[in-house]
Amino acid sequence: MDSSAPFDLLIGLIVLAPLASFLLCHVIPDRYSWLVTIAATVFLLVSTISSLVLFFSVSPNESHIIQLEWFRVGPYSFNGNLEINNLSVLMMLLVTMISFLVHLYSIGYMAGEAGIRRYFAMLGFFTFSMLGLILSDNLLAIFFCWELVGFSSYLLIGHWLEKPAAAKAAQKAFLFNRIGDVGFLIGLMIVWANTQTFNLRELLHLQEVYSWQTAASLCIFCGVIGKSAQFPLYTWLSDAMEGPIPVSALIHAATMVAAGVFLLARVFQLFTPTALDVVAVVGMVTALLAGISALNQFDIKKILAYSTISQLGLMVTAVGVGSEKAAMFHLVTHALFKACLFLAAGAVIHSIHQAQSLDHENFDAQDIRNMGGLRKNLPTTFLVFVAAAASLAGIPLFAGFLSKDSLITAIWIWSGNLFSWHWMILISAFALTSITVLYTFRMVWFIFFSKTESNLSVTESPWIMRIPLVFLAIASSWLFISINPFKPTGWIALWINELPHSNLVTIISIAIIILSLLFAWSRYSVKNKSATTILFFQQGFQLDSLYKLIIEKPIIKLTAVAETTDRKWIDGVLHLTAYTQVSIAHIIAWFDTYIVDGLVHVTVWLTQQTGSFTRSFQGGKIQLYIFWAVLGLIIFLFFLLI
Amino acid sequence: MFPTEHILYLSVFLFSIGLMVIIIKKNAIMVLLGIELLLNASNLNLIAFNRLQPELFTGQIFSLFVIVVAVCEAAVGLAIVLRVYKHYQTSVLNEISELKE
Amino acid sequence: MSQYLLTALIFTPVAAALLGLFIPDTSKSSFRTLTLVISAIQIALLVFVIAQTRGSSFSAILLSEKVTWFSLDLGEWGVLQAEYFVGMDGLSFSMVTLTVLVMSIAGISSWTIDKNVKGYFILLWILNGAIVGTFVALDFLLFYLFFEFMLLPMYFLIGIWGGAKREYASIKFLLYTLLGSILILIVLIALYISMRNPEMPDQLVHTFNMLHMTDVLNYIPGSILNPAQPWIIGPQTARWWAFLFVLIGFAIKLPAVPFHTWLPDAHVEAPTPISVILAALLLKVGAYGLLRIAYPIFPDVATTLSWFVALIGVISIVYGALNALASKDLKRLIAYSSVSHMGFVMLGLASVTTEGVSGAVYQLFSHGIISAMLFLIAGVLYDRTLDRTIINYSGLSSKMPVYFTVVLITFFASLGLPGFSGFIAEIMVLLGAFRSFSANGLIHESFAIVATLGLILGAAYYLWTLQRMFFGPFYMKSEIKPDQLIDLDKREYSMFLPLILLALLFGIFPQILLDYINPFAQHFTESVLQTARSLQTP
Repeated sequence: MDSSAPFDLLIGLIVLAPLASFLLCHVIPDRYSWLVTIAATVFLLVSTISSLVLFFSVSPNESHIIQLEWFRVGPYSFNGNLEINNLSVLMMLLVTMISFLVHLYSIGYMAGEAGIRRYFAMLGFFTFSMLGLILSDNLLAIFFCWELVGFSSYLLIGHWLEKPAAAKAAQKAFLFNRIGDVGFLIGLMIVWANTQTFNLRELLHLQEVYSWQTAASLCIFCGVIGKSAQFPLYTWLSDAMEGPIPVSALIHAATMVAAGVFLLARVFQLFTPTALDVVAVVGMVTALLAGISALNQFDIKKILAYSTISQLGLMVTAVGVGSEKAAMFHLVTHALFKACLFLAAGAVIHSIHQAQSLDHENFDAQDIRNMGGLRKNLPTTFLVFVAAAASLAGIPLFAGFLSKDSLITAIWIWSGNLFSWHWMILISAFALTSITVLYTFRMVWFIFFSKTESNLSVTESPWIMRIPLVFLAIASSWLFISINPFKPTGWIALWINELPHSNLVTIISIAIIILSLLFAWSRYSVKNKSATTILFFQQGFQLDSLYKLIIEKPIIKLTAVAETTDRKWIDGVLHLTAYTQVSIAHIIAWFDTYIVDGLVHVTVWLTQQTGSFTRSFQGGKIQLYIFWAVLGLIIFLFFLLI
Repeated sequence: MFPTEHILYLSVFLFSIGLMVIIIKKNAIMVLLGIELLLNASNLNLIAFNRLQPELFTGQIFSLFVIVVAVCEAAVGLAIVLRVYKHYQTSVLNEISELKE
Repeated sequence: MSQYLLTALIFTPVAAALLGLFIPDTSKSSFRTLTLVISAIQIALLVFVIAQTRGSSFSAILLSEKVTWFSLDLGEWGVLQAEYFVGMDGLSFSMVTLTVLVMSIAGISSWTIDKNVKGYFILLWILNGAIVGTFVALDFLLFYLFFEFMLLPMYFLIGIWGGAKREYASIKFLLYTLLGSILILIVLIALYISMRNPEMPDQLVHTFNMLHMTDVLNYIPGSILNPAQPWIIGPQTARWWAFLFVLIGFAIKLPAVPFHTWLPDAHVEAPTPISVILAALLLKVGAYGLLRIAYPIFPDVATTLSWFVALIGVISIVYGALNALASKDLKRLIAYSSVSHMGFVMLGLASVTTEGVSGAVYQLFSHGIISAMLFLIAGVLYDRTLDRTIINYSGLSSKMPVYFTVVLITFFASLGLPGFSGFIAEIMVLLGAFRSFSANGLIHESFAIVATLGLILGAAYYLWTLQRMFFGPFYMKSEIKPDQLIDLDKREYSMFLPLILLALLFGIFPQILLDYINPFAQHFTESVLQTARSLQTP
C-alpha cells in the first residue's frame, strides 16, 4: 500500500513544473516577456499531462504515501509526506487543468499588459502552493501551503498596482484570510498539545473521540471560514474581483476558495458531531445570504462572486451533514462551470472593452444593465455561458444538477424523518436551489437577451481565449462526470464513491427548478432593466460596515491609546524621573555653591581678615614695633607681678 | 644723703621719658637722644645699686663703661643718621620704612 | 589553531581597530576595504568552527578556552579569581553566526558614511568584537565586560552619526541600558560571593564561571543566594529578587514592554547600519542573557515566574504591534515591529518546552536576518529622499520596481509568511507555549492564543504600509523630486540578496539550523526543569 516509487517522478513533475514556471518568469529579462506567457503555459501543460497520466495509472481507492522528512524538533518530527489518494489525485487533475486553461486564456486576455511576468509568475506560484496543499499529509505542511496560496491571491488581486481599489481589496483579502488562519493556527496548537503530531494519517485514526477535538475542529473550521469565504468573513471575496478576471476564475472561484472545502473533507474524521452541526449551520447561512446578495447585484463579477460564496456555503453544509463526498463532488463540478462562467464573463468584458476603445465610448463594462442582446454578437461566448450557467442553476443534463442533487440528498438523509431544526437546513437548501435559478436567469437574460440602447460593434474575443471556454463548457455537461445524467455513476463520479442518491429528491428538485425558471421568466423578462435592488442586500448585508464599526474603529482607537501610553505614560514617567533627577541635581548644585562653597569662602575671608589685621602690626615702622614690644612687656609684667 | 629709692625713681622717670621719646619722636636724632636718655637711666641705676656694696666699684665702673659705649654708639648712630639723611633726604623714621612689604 | 578559534573571532576586529589608528583619516577606501577583509576573515573562521565541530553534540560546550585572568588572595575573604573562559554551544553558535553575517552586511551598508570615517569604523570594529565576545563568554565577569563594552561604541555611533534628535536618543539609550547593567551587576556580585569553585575544593575560591553557577552544589552554605536556605529580603527570597533583577536587566535590552521606549528613538535617530546592528544583534543579547543566565542559574524562581515572563512577552507582542500600526514614520514602525517580534522570544522561552525554546532561538536568528533587511529598506528610502514619513509617498512600485519587490518579500517574511524563517520560529514558539500548560504547567494556554493576535496585527501594519506607500497612483510630497527615486544599485542589491536567500533557506530547510539549536534547547529544557523540580521538592 505504501509503495510509492513509481509515482515519485510524476508527482515531482506535477508539483515542480509550476514552481519552475514561477522561477523562470523571474529569470527571463523584460525584453522577452512574450516568452514568459508561452513558457509558463507549456510548463502547466506538462503538469496537466502528468496529472492525467497519474489519474489513469492510479485506480480509485488506492492510496500511496511519499515519505519526506522536513525537520525535527527534539523528539518530534515534522514530515512533509505526500499522500496520493482519491481526493488528491482528483484535485490535482482539477487544479492543473483549470490552471492550464487559465494560463492559455491569459495569453489572450493579458496581452500587452505591463506586469505580465509578475502575473504569470504568481499564477505558477499559486498552482505550486495549491498542489502542495492538496498533497500534504501533514497539517503543518497544509497550513504552510494554505498561507502561500493566500499570498499569491494577495498579489494577484493587487496585480494592477496603480488601482487603489485593487490594493484595498488585496489587503482585505489577506487580512480576512489571516484572521481565519489564526483560528486554524489555534486549532493546530490544540492538536499539537494533545497529540504531538500533525500527521494526518495518525490523527485521522485516533482510537477514541477526545473532548479537545470539538475545540480543535471548530478552530480549523475558522481557517475554512476565512479561505472559503464563509459567514461572517465572506465579504472579502466580492471585493477580490478587483483582480484580473482569469485570476478570479482560477483562484476566487475554482480552486483556492475551494481549498477550505477540500480541507474540511480531508480532516472530516477529526470533527465531532457538535462541530459538524456548527459547520452545517454556518454553511447554510452563508449560502442563503450570499444567494440573496447575488440576486441584488449589477456587476457581473460580483454576481459570480456571491454565487461562488453561496455554492461554497452549500458544500460546507454538505460536509457538516456528514457527506464530504457530496461536497467534493460539487467542488469538482462547481470548479468547472464556475471557471467557465468567469472566463466567459471575462470574454464578454474583454469584447466590450475592445469595442469601447474603438468607438471611444465609456461606460462600466461590468454592469449587466449596460449589456444586452449580446447573443448575436458573441455566439460562442453566449453558448458557453449558457451551458455553464445551466450547470450552476442545476438544470438537468448538466453536471451541476448531479452534484447539487447529491448535496440535497445528503441533507435530506441527515435531516431524518422526525421534525427538528435539521429540517430548516433542508428547506433552506431547496430555497437556495430556487434562488440560484433566479439569479442565474437574471444574469443570462440581462447580458444576452434584453434590449440595449448602445450599438457598439462588439466582436468575439481571440480564439486563444475561446478554446478554454469551449473545453470547460463541455466539461459542464453531465457526460464529463457521469454516465447517467440523473444519477452519478462512472467516470469521475467513480473517484468519489458512495455518493448519496434518492429519486424522490431528484424529482422534487426538478420541480423546483422548473417552477423557479417560470417565475424568473415572468419577473425579469417583463420588467427588464427596471429590476430594483435593495442596497442592504447588494452590499452583502452590510457586514463591512459592521466590521468597520466593531473591529476597525476600536483597533484604530486602541492604537492611538497604545501610542499615547508610549509617548505620554512610559516616556512621561521616564522624563519625569529624568526631570526629578535633574532638579535634585540642581538643588544639590545650589547647596554646593552656596552652602559648601560659602563655608569655604567664609573661612577664607576670616583668615584673610586675621592676616591683614596681624599684618597691620608690621608696617616697617620701627617705633611701632618698639611700642608694641614695650606694651607687651608691660602687660607681661603686669600679669607677672599681680 | 638721698635714699636709694629716690635715685631709682629718677631713673624710672628718665627711662620712661627716653622710651616715650623713642616711640613718639619722628626724627632719628631725637630717637638717638631718647636712647641716650635710656642709657643714662640705666647708669643712674648702676650707680644707685652700687650703694649696696660700697666696698666694690662694680657699679661705677660699669656706668663708666656704659658712658663710653654710649658715646661710641652715639657717634656711630649719628653717622648712620647722616648717611640715611643723605640717601633719603630726610631723617624722619616713618618715611624710610623699607622693611615694609 | 583550533583551540584559539573563538579568541581569533573576537579579536580580529579589535586588532583591526588598533591597526585603523595608524591609517590616515582621509583614506576612506582603505577603511571600507578593511571592513570587508575583517568580515572575510571572520567568515573563514566560522567555516573552520563548523568544520571543527562537525559531528559533535551542540548541547555541550565546544571549543572552550580557559585561562586564569587574574587571581588575588584576600586571606580570609577567599581568593578573588576571574577567568578568560570562552566556549560555544548551539545557542552561542547560532548567535555568533548571525553576528558575523549581519556585521558583514552592516559593513557594506556603512560605505555611505562620509563623516569622520576613521572614528566610525574603529568604533564599529570594537563593537563587532564586543558582540562576538558577549555571545561566547562563559565567565560572568567576562560576559559583563563585553556586555558593557558594547554600550560605548553604540552611544557614540548613534550620538555622532545619527539624525536630528541624536543626542536625546543616544543618552536615552545609554541611561536605559546602564540601568539594566547595574541591576545585572548587583546580581553578578551576589552570585560571586555565593559561589565556590569546585575545581579547588581545599581552598575558598570564588568563581564567576557560569557553568558552575548552574550547579546547585557549588553554593556556599549560608550565602545570600544559596537555594537551600535562601535569605529573605522583604516579602521574597533573595533568589527571587536576583531573578527579577536579571530579568529586568535583560528585558530592557530585549526590549520588552514597558522598558522599550529607548528602542524607537534610538532606531529613528541611528544611521542605517547602526540600526541594523542594533535590531539584529544588540536586542539578541538581551534574549541571550535570559537563555544563558536568568533561566539556567535561577531555574527554581524562573519556573515559578514563567507566567510573568510570558505575560511580558505577550504584552510586548500585542502592544508593539498596536504601536507599529499607529506609527507614521517607516523606521519607527519597523522598530515597534521588533518589539512585537521579540515578544515571541520571551513567550517561547517562558514555555520551557523543547519546541518553544527552539522556536525562541530560531526567532532570534530569523529576526536578526529579517530586521536587518527591514532597516536596510528604510535606509534605502532615507538615503534618497531624507524622508521616511509613510503618508508622503504613494505608488512607489511604479518608480522603483526592484525596491518594491524587495520590500514585498521582506514585509511578508516579517509578518510570518511560510517559506521564510520567521514562520518556523513563530509557529514553534506558539506550539510550545500552548503545550506548556499540559507538558509542564508553566504558562496558561491563553497566552499563546492572545499572542496569535500579533500575527493578525502584524499582517495589518505591513499590508497597510504597502498599500499606502507602494500601491495606487504615484504621488510624493512636493519637496521631494521624483528623480531622487533611483532603483536599487548594485551595492544595495548585494546586501539584500544574501539576506533574502538566507531567510528563504532557513524557512524552507529549518533542519540546517535546528541541528545546532535543538540539542541546546533540549539540554536547556531538561536541565532547567530538573533543577527546578529538585529544588522545589527537597
